[in-house]
Amino acid sequence: MAPERARRGRRSWKRYSSRTFYLFVSPWIIGFTLLTALPLGYALLVSLTNFNGRTDRWRWIGLRNYRELFGDADAVASLVRTLAYTAIAVPLMVAGGLGLAVLLNRRLKGVGLFRTIFFLPSVVPVVAMAIMWKLILNRDAGILNALLEKVSIGPIAWLVDPNAFYALIILTLWGLGGGMVIMLAALQGVPAELEEAAAVDGASRWHVLRHITVPMISPAIFFQVVTGVIAALQIIIQPLLLAETNQVGSVAQVPQNTHLFMVQVYQEFFANNRYGYGSAMLWVFFLVILLITVVVQRSSRLWVHYEVDSEADR
Amino acid sequence: MTITQTSAAAPATGTPPHTAHRRRRRRTDAAGAYLLLMTLAVLFVGPFVWLVLAAVKTKAEWVAIPAEVLPDTFQWGNFTRALTEINFPAYLGNSLFLSFLYAILVTMSSAAVGFGFARLRGHGKRPLFLLLLSTMMLPQILTLIPTYVLFARAGLVDTYWPWVLWGLAASPYLVFLFRQFFAAIPAELEDAAVIDGCGYGRIFLQIFLPLSRPVLWTAFLLSFTWIWGDYIAPALFLDPDHTTLSVAIAGFYRDPHGNPDATVQAAAAALYVVPVLAIFLFAQRYFIRGVVGSGLKG
Repeated sequence: MAPERARRGRRSWKRYSSRTFYLFVSPWIIGFTLLTALPLGYALLVSLTNFNGRTDRWRWIGLRNYRELFGDADAVASLVRTLAYTAIAVPLMVAGGLGLAVLLNRRLKGVGLFRTIFFLPSVVPVVAMAIMWKLILNRDAGILNALLEKVSIGPIAWLVDPNAFYALIILTLWGLGGGMVIMLAALQGVPAELEEAAAVDGASRWHVLRHITVPMISPAIFFQVVTGVIAALQIIIQPLLLAETNQVGSVAQVPQNTHLFMVQVYQEFFANNRYGYGSAMLWVFFLVILLITVVVQRSSRLWVHYEVDSEADR
Repeated sequence: MTITQTSAAAPATGTPPHTAHRRRRRRTDAAGAYLLLMTLAVLFVGPFVWLVLAAVKTKAEWVAIPAEVLPDTFQWGNFTRALTEINFPAYLGNSLFLSFLYAILVTMSSAAVGFGFARLRGHGKRPLFLLLLSTMMLPQILTLIPTYVLFARAGLVDTYWPWVLWGLAASPYLVFLFRQFFAAIPAELEDAAVIDGCGYGRIFLQIFLPLSRPVLWTAFLLSFTWIWGDYIAPALFLDPDHTTLSVAIAGFYRDPHGNPDATVQAAAAALYVVPVLAIFLFAQRYFIRGVVGSGLKG
């Protein structure tokens, strides 16, 4: 009698618990369905049409948008540019964040102040960031060219082709403090004895960093690479806001060199009213990002050391 | 890891001249580190300083060649013009309203979802959690444009409803933050409440939420700054009268010829970043918790 009742009690408790679980996570499930899955599915349908966003006169055109995309030199060029930007910006971001973290990971007075200073730019809103750097990089009135002139380097037009690309990289690097904080937290988990022991053994500082510190914090570095790649691929606001233009947000005046893939998508949607074609671009990009993420994840087996594996060594 | 094995013998070799040499080396090291840190600090702080300097210059001083570092007299009038040339208070109000609205909603919804994933059991919980983690990796811009198209058809563009919906939908990033925190709370607490006949709704509200004040602050401050700093969503979803300060500052300051009004815009941008910087300086540990907590304990 008693175990029977207990079992029934347990089952109804299980049901209660399961129902409560779904009740608690329902905001996300509903939100994900309506605000992530639905828009993506909708974009997939629109990508098979010639919808222009205005009139309701559209028709199914099958895969024609996709076929056009592979022959679209501008789109392909912007994708290549985006990949190049990612390949340059992410290693610089990760290395810079790691470098700053290593610098700050010692017992020096005032380290907290420096940490605040380096972390600060990463919370500055992108609009303010763009305004600040346009003031610095301004060809005539900017401080950078004024300083360069002191060493007789003529005025450089930073915000137009071909230099706009470097301006974008500089803007990106200024915000590397977020990554630095993650690396710093990881570094503080590395046992000091390990590094000291190696140093006493005569290992050079570079050697210690390369063969002990970096492998120890490789999960944090890996996390930085993954989030950095995804952030870099989807970048759109920075090129729009850095463009020297009278009409902010107008795609037409974004320099060729910072005309990245999402800028191209934005242009197809809102300047050319080609919603169908733009949706096809979004989906191709979605698949490209998925592919890159998988490749990065796979590569992690070669160079990321998780605590569990190294346990045996220690 | 062969280094650890050989290290045991090492301390014996430490002789006095050796340590003196090392102490000297450490001192020059520290000096070098400070020099490097100072230089880097100038690079990181420089843009703020140059912004404020631009904000207190006359237009002539701003375009002067060679560039003048300091103005003759501080043009505080640029700030008054920044406040009056456009309807600054209205845009500020819109920004504050949307930021508070979204931050409160998303903090509460993410806490609830995080609690569900941390403390409750249900069919399909694991695949759901993996789905949540993978959406953290999904670029938001991919869904933003189709969402705009859908919302435009549903008549939700030029209203604040999108922010309500985004807030209610919880943020995967914050869900993960809450989930990690709730999962670390000992089970005895909850077991005792269950035995007393307490439902999970009350356990969440009366036991877990009061315990999680630091994470609540982290989530609130992070999400507040997301909306405060966002440009693309208000630019797409809101008309120029209902838009936020970020959009207004980026594009609405014009001189009579229609060119960007650099000095007044700089003053406005300075006013716009001050709240973020103030929040950051006073609550830095919450931001660090937010950045680190999501990144490491995966």
